[in-house]
Amino acid sequence: MKTGKKNYIVSIILGVFAIAFILPLLYALYTSFLKLSDIDKLVGIKNWTLESYLKFWKDPNYNIPRWFFNTVLMTGITIAGNVVINSMAGYALAKLNFPGKNLVFFIIVATMTIPYQIILIPVYVTMAKLGWLNTVASVTVPYLYQCIFVFMMKQFFSGIPNELLEAARIDGLTKVGVFFRIMLPLSKPGIISMIILNFTSTWNAYLVPSTMLNNKDSYILIVGLNSVKDQFFDRTNVIMAGVVLITLPVVILFLIFQKQYIEGVATSGLKG
Amino acid sequence: MVSHETRLKRKAFRSANESDALVGLFFIFPFIALWFIWFFVPFLQSFIRSFQSANFIALDQAQFIGLDNYIKILQDKEFYQALLHSVTIVAISVPVITVLALLVAIAVNQNIVAKGVFRTIYVIPYITSPIAATTVFMVLFRKDQMLARFMTIFGFENTTWYSNVNLALLFVIILFIWWQLGFFIIIYLAGLQDIPAELYEATRVDGANAWHRFFNITVPSLKHVTFFVVTVTTIYSFQVYDQVAAISRYGVLGQPAGRTSTLITYFMQHGIRYMEIGYGSAAVVIFTLIILAITYIQKLLLAKEG
Repeated sequence: MKTGKKNYIVSIILGVFAIAFILPLLYALYTSFLKLSDIDKLVGIKNWTLESYLKFWKDPNYNIPRWFFNTVLMTGITIAGNVVINSMAGYALAKLNFPGKNLVFFIIVATMTIPYQIILIPVYVTMAKLGWLNTVASVTVPYLYQCIFVFMMKQFFSGIPNELLEAARIDGLTKVGVFFRIMLPLSKPGIISMIILNFTSTWNAYLVPSTMLNNKDSYILIVGLNSVKDQFFDRTNVIMAGVVLITLPVVILFLIFQKQYIEGVATSGLKG
Repeated sequence: MVSHETRLKRKAFRSANESDALVGLFFIFPFIALWFIWFFVPFLQSFIRSFQSANFIALDQAQFIGLDNYIKILQDKEFYQALLHSVTIVAISVPVITVLALLVAIAVNQNIVAKGVFRTIYVIPYITSPIAATTVFMVLFRKDQMLARFMTIFGFENTTWYSNVNLALLFVIILFIWWQLGFFIIIYLAGLQDIPAELYEATRVDGANAWHRFFNITVPSLKHVTFFVVTVTTIYSFQVYDQVAAISRYGVLGQPAGRTSTLITYFMQHGIRYMEIGYGSAAVVIFTLIILAITYIQKLLLAKEG
């Protein structure tokens, strides 16, 4: 029914729009391979160099290896916590009965309604008192769970038929066993969605890390980039190498897990 | 003979077993414990501190001063400037994002070439770090650079946008829209999948053109999605922070000359940078009340719609 002509017109318009849309990222990628003297010129691939990356990685002013390690640590701990805690809570809400269940539902909805910025100042004070500022604990411990993901996992677990659980119980599995042997393996797509959403938001986080991490050794990549970018703004190629280094891991993971990511956004967005 | 007590115990054990109470509490405990320590307690603290004269350096000497912090904030010109900027961001971002996201989603949903590739490209900005993206845009929006020159087509002067007092806020808004759009395209695409194809088939038989289909089927069918998009964009637009932080070189948040201050930078500046815990907390509480008021109005409107 749909005519070929119309398809192509829409495709071309979308194509132009799409190129404009990611042009800044392409610019960053391109410029990161240039020599300082070639910036803003179109040069062939023969003149490209990895100098900026090497400089960025090795220059003691940046301490990139350390920041990279901090970022990976922060993201890893946060994701591990979220997987364990959110899926445990989701299982309890979907398949178990316990006193105060309705209160927990209320808590989840209320917490999702309240902007999280409200806890920032008291959490900062607490971190200072505990001596946790400038440590990875200050950017992970309060964020080991997320209400929206508890809700998402609850939805996933609810979709698993009760008959399956009863059959497993008859076969001698405990309720804890059911969680590990039945629920977790069957909700792999949901867990992957949660991991990829959690990964992008943690990797890209700025507000909390920039508040809690104030010395150079504790910086994560994004806080570090933002602190050096003004100083080295004229060395555009080096700064762009930093941008690429921060952006590339997320883009690669997104390209691999695109389907789960988009499904995750659609379900957590529309149902949350 | 079994004693009354034992019987009660057995009964309790059995019912606990049946209702999963212990297992359930075990599974929910880590979540509730973390929530209590790292959300509920600080949440209450923010309210309590907002009525105190509390400075980070001498927190033990904090004193209750009633509504003084709130009164001071409501008399502060900078607060109204920040509020005005936040409202401006909302007023521009919400309609632009809603319309663009809908149009792009509809276009991507057509029978087009390389559909998946387009969807991927449009989502990519949303998965990038706003700080990294802002850094790139800052380079491109410098005087004589690509985008600064491009924007002269629309009558803007060729200048460094982020340090120009008239253009800095618009720069932040453009960046926010660019970054956030992909998220709402996904939401609209999900909404479009849910519209039954029969609806379109029926009108095609009636000879309705694309224009009619758009206004008589697509838009009404997406009413609830649009409602969601508008309210969520409103809330997210009030929370813009990273883009502003990125252009505020070393000094005060909201540069140049306070022209990109928002409700968030206002409380960050006072509560964290100046370490005025009490004053900053009051500012956060005001911000939170504004967000909750919007959410409440949204609920009322939704209830009215039925």
